[in-house]
Amino acid sequence: MGEVIVITSGKGGVGKTTTAANLGTGLSLLNKKAVLVDTDIGLRNLDVVMGLENRIVYDLVDAVEGTCRLKQALIKDKRYDGLYLLPAAQTRDKNSVTPEQMVKLCEELKEEFDFVIIDCPAGIEQGFKNAIAGADRAIVITTPEVSAVRDADRIIGLLEANDIKNPSLIVNRVRHEMVRKGDMMSIEDIIDILAIQLVGVVPDDENIIISTNRGEPAVSDNKSMAGQAYRNITRRILGEDVPFMDLAGQGNFIAKVKKLFGFRSA
Amino acid sequence: MENAKNQIAFKGTADGLVIIIPGEMETKEILEQVALKVKAAEKFFRGAKLKVMYRGRKLTEEEEEMLVQMMVVNSGVSIESIRFDPEQPQPEREKPSKLSGMPIRKIFFKEIEEGPCKFIKGTVRGGTRILYEGNVVVLGDANPGSEIVASGNVVIMGTIRGMVHAGADGNRNAIVAALRLCPTQLRIADLITRCPETYEEDTFLPEIASIKDGVIYVEPLGK
Repeated sequence: MGEVIVITSGKGGVGKTTTAANLGTGLSLLNKKAVLVDTDIGLRNLDVVMGLENRIVYDLVDAVEGTCRLKQALIKDKRYDGLYLLPAAQTRDKNSVTPEQMVKLCEELKEEFDFVIIDCPAGIEQGFKNAIAGADRAIVITTPEVSAVRDADRIIGLLEANDIKNPSLIVNRVRHEMVRKGDMMSIEDIIDILAIQLVGVVPDDENIIISTNRGEPAVSDNKSMAGQAYRNITRRILGEDVPFMDLAGQGNFIAKVKKLFGFRSA
Repeated sequence: MENAKNQIAFKGTADGLVIIIPGEMETKEILEQVALKVKAAEKFFRGAKLKVMYRGRKLTEEEEEMLVQMMVVNSGVSIESIRFDPEQPQPEREKPSKLSGMPIRKIFFKEIEEGPCKFIKGTVRGGTRILYEGNVVVLGDANPGSEIVASGNVVIMGTIRGMVHAGADGNRNAIVAALRLCPTQLRIADLITRCPETYEEDTFLPEIASIKDGVIYVEPLGK
């Protein structure tokens, strides 16, 4: 029996889809069977980021409505063993699926896969409700911006109200140079407000733009800083205790995060 | 209400009579309407001594004199004074009860020492609204975008960054206390205040907010 993880943020453009693509790929690189589910019906992106757009025949709505069998809608990623994608429909909208149907879908996928990674749309409306309906746990993505942190806070509240306790946090697109100058919120500031467990910090990396445009997740690129961060996050999701990268080049950074981390989870 | 805009209105207050004059009204019409009104209540006005205030249109000294004469002649009232009240005849000022959605009451529980109490364990997150008739204690933070409205006191064992309203039913004795007090907005009864912009995020200084002399004061706790 697998685990369903929803990747959500509230705010748009913080990196949900990129994170979902990289985590799914990262899990398959660690020999786990994973399926990526794009629930952003009407604004699908995950297929593009994965470079699988031209292979879509059936989609999530088809599978839910019974137009096809679930197996038929799953696209196998030939580059990574054990990685599949269930794309969203592009010509429908969020109301085409109900939370009950999502629960059923997740149950079916759990039978087959070790991990079901759900890419949640931005917002807190129907699409969000669908995405979290079948989830066992959640990963909340934020960037070091006040607006993104606000939305993440709201999302955490909604997750808790829907009985998805203890979501994990990924802080994306951190620029340590700016943090050091005091121009950007630090990881400590963000954790202080959100008070949830940190599972990863992803540095701002130009390579991400290149890799998403090419449809090759950064996690498979050994030279990419963001890729390294995603590899670490993947291992932490699997329960490994991986130290945080020393991104700032400051010796006490890790210690600080660790201290906070330990303090919060104690 | 249809013609309320071009009608003179009389209002009795503790300080005397208030005449509300619509902004664009002609002097002649003002005098006519006042005469009519005063005549209709002649019995009430006869022999009374009145202080008169008027709002809305500012009258010249001559016009004021004419107005007083008109009232005296038509009812036998004696006018002690007449003056312009600069306050706009606003329809109805927003009542504190409407401020946070708590019904306003005349009687509260005794001072601030007693009453039902709601405990909230964990962080109150953005978008959450807590409305409680009594005291509220939060064992955690209250984040930006959250709203805590209590008819009694609010105590936060953490940082308050959202909106908090104590004594929301009109109780000016209510207090707000927190380990770190930097709300987006702090309300007690019908008063509203904001946190100073220069707040030091790093300091952990327990503080208490209460009303003194009609102003919200924030002081270190235990002073």
